[in-house]
Amino acid sequence: MFATLAGKALVPVGLAVTGFMVVCCLILYSVIREDLHHGEIVHATNLADTILKSARYAMNKSDREMLATIIRNVGEQKGVDHVRIFNKKGIVTFSAKSGEINRQVDKNTEGCIVCHKGAVPVTNLGTMQQARTFRNPDGTDVMAITAPIYNETDCSSAACHVHLPGQKVLGTLDIGLSRAELERSLTMLRIQMIIFTLMSLILTIGGVTALLKRNVFLPLQRLRNYVELSTKKNDIPEPPPHLPHDLDIIATSYYSARMNAAGKKQNPEESINDFNKGN
Amino acid sequence: MTDMHKRQLSADINGTRDSADILRQELTKEISRLNRFSTRGILALSLFLVVSILAWWGFSFLPAPDTVTAVLGKPPSANIIGIALLLYTFSAILLSLSRMTAGIEHRSSFSHVGFLTAFFLFYYFGKSLEENYWAVFGSGITILGVESYRIWTFCAEGISKNREDIEYVTRTGRPPPQEL
Repeated sequence: MFATLAGKALVPVGLAVTGFMVVCCLILYSVIREDLHHGEIVHATNLADTILKSARYAMNKSDREMLATIIRNVGEQKGVDHVRIFNKKGIVTFSAKSGEINRQVDKNTEGCIVCHKGAVPVTNLGTMQQARTFRNPDGTDVMAITAPIYNETDCSSAACHVHLPGQKVLGTLDIGLSRAELERSLTMLRIQMIIFTLMSLILTIGGVTALLKRNVFLPLQRLRNYVELSTKKNDIPEPPPHLPHDLDIIATSYYSARMNAAGKKQNPEESINDFNKGN
Repeated sequence: MTDMHKRQLSADINGTRDSADILRQELTKEISRLNRFSTRGILALSLFLVVSILAWWGFSFLPAPDTVTAVLGKPPSANIIGIALLLYTFSAILLSLSRMTAGIEHRSSFSHVGFLTAFFLFYYFGKSLEENYWAVFGSGITILGVESYRIWTFCAEGISKNREDIEYVTRTGRPPPQEL
């Protein structure tokens, strides 16, 4: 295979085109996945902000029932894995899943350790740092946002229950979104990219093969047949017509050399006509 | 062996049988050199596979990315590294195909292993090696595959030509005719 002209022409082209397309697809896939992940975090952050604003209103009114209803309704939305609020001690005070209420959260778990790894907890985190991904007990991939509920003037001065103005964080909202839909989109994208790559490869290699065969290998085969035939026959046959220019020069030169060797004088006009044949 | 070298040798030997032996020895040496050189692409590919295995294990012997970025500063984003990798892959393949076309003997394989290792390290320190591992691996296999093929075909042609020359010298006792 590697010794033939077709092999020599097609192996490097096939290898280079295949490899480059695979690398392009992998990089493109990685960029798209990163963009989708970023968009998912922005979406979750916006949702967390909306819940925080609603929760703040309910807390200022000291309406625990309203806050519990908000949390429960958001938790029932499709694609929401969990919504919970826990206080400064790490006890879940509100949750979309009633079984979680009053449970203590371990500060060393993945979502908490980001802020609680030092002696003094971090109170300000960037949007991307607030996000974490993990697999829940049901086996679903979840992207969660942990957003602190900061103490503000209207909280510390409210009549219902007064927080000290020096207390910076009152509690934490934890919201998790299922990644199943995102994973489904990425799987579809992967399949589409594989199909697109395979189709492009077949077209590229098929196109190169067809052009090479039509323009190079078939004329070469005709030239080879002509040379083999003329060595077997006593009378020297005319060069085949309509050869590409380069091959026509070889065929005409070969014909002239054979004619000279046989002691025949070729008509120069005929020779020129032969030479120009196929131009 | 270059044509100039052959001309010099042919001038030296003056058609004597001893000199034909010298020429045969030179050609045999050249075949041995090409045989050694032909494995260069495969050696570079093997070295790259070793680096890839280390990257697959997450460069556990290297310091943590945070320690290094604390000293060197923020690494470029994964997207920027991806664009650089794409441009590098494109240029390297184009360069290799050009050398293949021109029939140039170039020993560039190991430098590609260095460049690809740098990409692995950039992704590692940018904490995005896991997502981009296969892109660098695919790029390496492609570039080093094309380079190995180029070196192998170059050497195979050279060895074949030198063997024909040895046969000619043995048969005629004269240096082989110059190529047109």
